[in-house]
Amino acid sequence: MFRVALRASASLQNAAKQCLKVQGSALTAVRHGHGKVETEEEFDSRYVKYFDRPDIDGWEIRKAMNDLTGEDLVPEPKIIIAALKACRRLNDYSLAVRYLESVQWKCGTQKAKIWPYIHQEIKPTLEELGILTPEEMGYDKPELALKSVFDM
Amino acid sequence: MSSNLLRVALRASKVPQRAVSTSPVCAKNIVIDQKLRDEIHPKIGNREIVGWGHNGNASYWDRSEFPAPAIRFKEDTPDVLQLREKEKGDWKSLSLDEKKQLYRASFCQTYAEMNAPTGEWKAMVAAILFGLTATGWVMFFMKKVVYPPPPSTITREWQEASLQRMLDQGQGAIQGVSAKWDYDKLEWKN
Repeated sequence: MFRVALRASASLQNAAKQCLKVQGSALTAVRHGHGKVETEEEFDSRYVKYFDRPDIDGWEIRKAMNDLTGEDLVPEPKIIIAALKACRRLNDYSLAVRYLESVQWKCGTQKAKIWPYIHQEIKPTLEELGILTPEEMGYDKPELALKSVFDM
Repeated sequence: MSSNLLRVALRASKVPQRAVSTSPVCAKNIVIDQKLRDEIHPKIGNREIVGWGHNGNASYWDRSEFPAPAIRFKEDTPDVLQLREKEKGDWKSLSLDEKKQLYRASFCQTYAEMNAPTGEWKAMVAAILFGLTATGWVMFFMKKVVYPPPPSTITREWQEASLQRMLDQGQGAIQGVSAKWDYDKLEWKN
């Protein structure tokens, strides 16, 4: 009687071990892993690669720009350059200027410090593609006033 | 609702193309079927859907943290389309005015305009001050007209006499008020 019980418990334990074993090998890596933490270089190169894709389309470029603007960072000049070149491939001038504006906005209170550096880095690309900075477009100051919707 | 529809349309139109093609495909136009077109386009007119909007809606909205809205701001008028053709060439040949037109065709407000001060704070301050003034006048009115005069016990004389009487009677001689009074020197103990 006792022996039977012992055998039963042993086989139960065995089964439990098997279960744990299966879980132990592959699943915990998925379940408990929070993924690899992306380094800054990887982040930059991921976006550069994304913008550099020859088949990038208007939807994707906008998504990436919106996502980048949502990040807590000012994008590296190489990302901006890749984005500007992608705008050129898609023939969307307005988007290029818009993105430069967004970068300036991301500089926040440190714009005086960060923007000159970025401008210096992306200047060759701007000249090559014929893109004007927001300042050159006259968009650093409000140009047009928007009528209030309550007055329409 | 429309967000889901747009998502479905985008998925239907984009992904299979990407999945089956081996050579680069530039899917510049987002293709939507007639049902979705009937749903979306009455609201946005002839404006081109170019990207992913807030919550997937095909709407235009100027927001700093969302530089590229889902649709262009202006409809594709012949002028704009002509300019778009020119845009395909060298951008250096575009004049400043044409560049501005292109920008305004895609976007309504620039960042500087979006974030320009509205002066609304003045109205706010005015409203707050107005509220405070109104409250002040109500208080003045209540004190003058509504409330009865305060009771006689609230005058300075009454309260001093009351304290004198407490000392004379020796109230609180151990820990209270009289304990703090020096009866010999007739002053408060330090």
